[in-house]
Amino acid sequence: MSASAVVPTSAAPEHPQEDEGLRWRTALASSPTVRLAGRRILIAIPVMWGVTFLSAILMNLLPGDAASALLGANATPLEVHQLSIKLHLNEPFLLRYWHWLVGVLHGNLGASLQNGQSVGQILGQHLPITLELVVLSSIVMLVISVPLALLCARRPGGILDRITMVLSMGFLSVPQFVLGLLFVLVFAVIWRVFPALGYTSITQSLGENLRDMTLPALTIALPSAGFYVRLLRADLLEQMQSEDYVVTARAKGLGTWHILTRHAFRNSLIGFITILGLNVATLFAYTVIVEEIFGLPGIGYQLLTGIGNRDAPLVQGIVLVFAGVVVLANLITDVLYGVIDPRIRYGRAAL
Amino acid sequence: MTTLNGSDAASGVAPLGIGGVATTETTGRPTGEKVLLEVRNLVQEFQIRNFGGVKGGVLQAVSNVSFEMRAGETLGVVGETGSGKSTLARSVIQAPPPKSGQVLFEGVDLVKLGRRQVAPLRRHLQMVFQDPYGSLDPKWRVNDIVAEPLVAYKDGDRAQRRARVAELLELVGLDPNIHGRRRPGQLSGGQAQRVAIARAIALNPQLVICDEAVSSLDVLVQAQVLNLFEKLRGELGLSYLFIAHDLALVKQVSDRVMVMYLGKLCEVGPSEAIYREPLHPYTLALLRSIPDPDPEVDQVNMREVISGELPSPIHPPSGCRFRTRCPRAQERCITEVPELQMLRKDHLVACHFPLPSSAEVAPGGGAPTAPAWTPGMTQGVER
Amino acid sequence: MAALPSEAATPSVPIAAAVMAEEPARSRRGWVHSLDLYIPAGVLVLLLLACFVWPLVYKLPPPVGGSILDASLPLGSPGHILGTDSVGNDIMSRLLYGGRVSFEVMFAVQGIGLVVGGFIGVAAASFSGLAEATVMRVLDVLIAFPAIVIALAIVDGLGAGEADIIWALAVVSIPTFARVARSGAVRVRDQTFVVAARLSGSKRWRTNLRHVLPNILPQLITFAVLGAAIVVILEATISFFGYGIPPPGPSWGNMIAAGQQVMSNEPALLLVPSIVLLVTVVALNTLSEALRARWGVVR
Repeated sequence: MSASAVVPTSAAPEHPQEDEGLRWRTALASSPTVRLAGRRILIAIPVMWGVTFLSAILMNLLPGDAASALLGANATPLEVHQLSIKLHLNEPFLLRYWHWLVGVLHGNLGASLQNGQSVGQILGQHLPITLELVVLSSIVMLVISVPLALLCARRPGGILDRITMVLSMGFLSVPQFVLGLLFVLVFAVIWRVFPALGYTSITQSLGENLRDMTLPALTIALPSAGFYVRLLRADLLEQMQSEDYVVTARAKGLGTWHILTRHAFRNSLIGFITILGLNVATLFAYTVIVEEIFGLPGIGYQLLTGIGNRDAPLVQGIVLVFAGVVVLANLITDVLYGVIDPRIRYGRAAL
Repeated sequence: MTTLNGSDAASGVAPLGIGGVATTETTGRPTGEKVLLEVRNLVQEFQIRNFGGVKGGVLQAVSNVSFEMRAGETLGVVGETGSGKSTLARSVIQAPPPKSGQVLFEGVDLVKLGRRQVAPLRRHLQMVFQDPYGSLDPKWRVNDIVAEPLVAYKDGDRAQRRARVAELLELVGLDPNIHGRRRPGQLSGGQAQRVAIARAIALNPQLVICDEAVSSLDVLVQAQVLNLFEKLRGELGLSYLFIAHDLALVKQVSDRVMVMYLGKLCEVGPSEAIYREPLHPYTLALLRSIPDPDPEVDQVNMREVISGELPSPIHPPSGCRFRTRCPRAQERCITEVPELQMLRKDHLVACHFPLPSSAEVAPGGGAPTAPAWTPGMTQGVER
Repeated sequence: MAALPSEAATPSVPIAAAVMAEEPARSRRGWVHSLDLYIPAGVLVLLLLACFVWPLVYKLPPPVGGSILDASLPLGSPGHILGTDSVGNDIMSRLLYGGRVSFEVMFAVQGIGLVVGGFIGVAAASFSGLAEATVMRVLDVLIAFPAIVIALAIVDGLGAGEADIIWALAVVSIPTFARVARSGAVRVRDQTFVVAARLSGSKRWRTNLRHVLPNILPQLITFAVLGAAIVVILEATISFFGYGIPPPGPSWGNMIAAGQQVMSNEPALLLVPSIVLLVTVVALNTLSEALRARWGVVR
């Protein structure tokens, strides 16, 4: 009875590809992940520029200048003036910044005003130490917080859970420097297990290196772990208590642990990773403090002395690297986000 | 016959409202000539943003829609979710303004005016929303909520406003002393919606847009609120643009009905005509889908009237958008977009092969291939 | 639409990452269930009373200018309950006056942040397009900087002293408030009642003031308490590194630094201010969690 014609649902016919290259490029351009990454990078560039510009302004606003800081209080005005000229400090601020910016775009980060050393070289020397600290701390932090959160979520209100809640609150409330000092007090002074200060390079001795890094890493890791344990635990509990799929899983006879680790954890992972990525900057802030306390020759220490000595190229260089790392971390987080959750990757039609 | 200025004893008409148009009581069909609202070629689009703000295509929610409303009538707008009816409403009140087209309210094109100039005109054009609680600030008291439009337009002093608020609350069936001091969280759904209505009529608007205003209320409460609408229409001479997805509901309250599908108008006409003699296959499908609890009546085989799923609004089908689900679709439907044609008095349809009726044969159509719709087939919609 | 995670309302310090969306617990079930709110609040009130009121009532030895003859008295010495430091200043008194500094800085910084940052954030939510993107980027840049570095730099420039610390920390605090306020305002402004209010004729500034602001205030206050804990920590850190209150003025931070010097011999000098600092921060954090449980949080 019905004479309906076969009607195609989509209206747009395919365009013939002209060559392989075109097909490749169109495929690349239409991948949502690529477009996301591209867009983020595009946004990141002004942010990074803004950060360096801000730091330059800040350095410029600080009273005093590198010359007088370097020569000390006893220098004569003549000496200060001569050094200023040598360091190009007499040029107007924007000009100096412009020179620096141009240099950066050519890959040259300039030279430190304090000792003339290439900023790139300084970074190369000190950055690895900081990175090692960051990596170690992060590993310890994850190793502590993730299993602990899972165990607590399994039996909320249980003994482990309560202890964890109390301890985590305590740890996340402790300022890093206090914790660091307490560690030094207990482990280096009283018990003499770990060294209080100093650093041995990894190339010299791995064991010594790890020993030196233990207390610093713990000082960073424990307060962070306290925070993340609570975060993850709360997210897991929210899943377990109010999500329908959990009820379904239980009805199927699955055990709590299985549901937790296989299902709830994955869903909580997204939020967890998000916050991790967002707090990369804070992690660096902590390294600054910890390096100061434990005498680690990392980049944070250089930053502080650089600010104190008004060493603009050094500070700006460090800030640039730092901003780059933060932006990279954000980008990775965003991309990971899309990878983990396909819904986000493909978006939804509005309305 | 009624005249513009007087009342007709024979039809027992209520006194004039602001529109100055008298209506008959039974059918509510406006006999006045004044066009209150005229919409021409309205287009509203949304930019789809995927994750990360990456642009993912344009969604045309309202596609070249034109219609007009006369003072004193209730125009019902019907369609599935995604048909664009809510977007249409928002576009009319310029929140946000449409991408293109004209919205002539009492002759003034609202689209052309900037945001600042539209603002004073808003007192004539108000809206009641779907979520009764959502449209009320949870931290405000009912008295303040209803008074807000008065405050904004600086109507009267404090004492006058208070009196007016009390008057409005009583008008919608609430007690100012009991409900006035409450917060929305302390009201029931029906009461909250009444507050929203009171606020909407505070400035004596001419047109009230009801965007699914009763859809989230319980059935009994729905009936009460609809009665309230009717009462206000009589007492204040309001016109309504009534948007809903419930066909039976729309028929109950409307003088004329508009059917929308994927952003386009399918059919416009008097509500009686739409129900008794639908011309558009989609309208027929909507009518057929109303279930009848009577076990004696044969169940409708929906596959005869509609098939498939709603296409993506971002890439709608070419030509007639309904063709992918229409049992009457043919070659012409793929290539040519159907325009609204007036096939009967006051009854327009946008279809190349509209349904035949017992009275007239549809001009320019092909051979009828679907069973003609006869009264009684639409279960449960008897007036 | 899924908001970009890095655009979510998260300030830089993890403790202040106000992202956990917990359901507000509407419990009017009696005081037992409100213990999680009252205990930390009570502790804080006690601390405030101790620092601000107690010295007015009870005669304490002065926090500075102690006699060298009284140096390094142990805990429990007569007239010096908590002993004295290496130059003879009474520890208890230094603790209380140092506490004044910490609390004053805390209130001032969070107050400024709330008002200024809140205002900026709500205003920023009214922008769209290029203006909005710019403001967001600027805020991102400001927040991307580690707070401690900015604070130290500013204090280095401005000089030591309580007011300088307040300015330095306010600079760090305002962008975080602005971001929270903005994302809250964006969330609220899309809600129907705001649209309805605008339709009723209220102008934008009016709706912002009367509708948006009251509805984001609970989240802002929760965030303010959370941030207060961080401010206390930052102030102590700044003082610890010697940039804060110049000695001999008391501050928990520089008391801890002094304690570090004599750590091996007299751990008490280090431990006492550390413990007090810890208690304060714990109280603030627990209080903010209690508030968060009641008022929910912007995701």
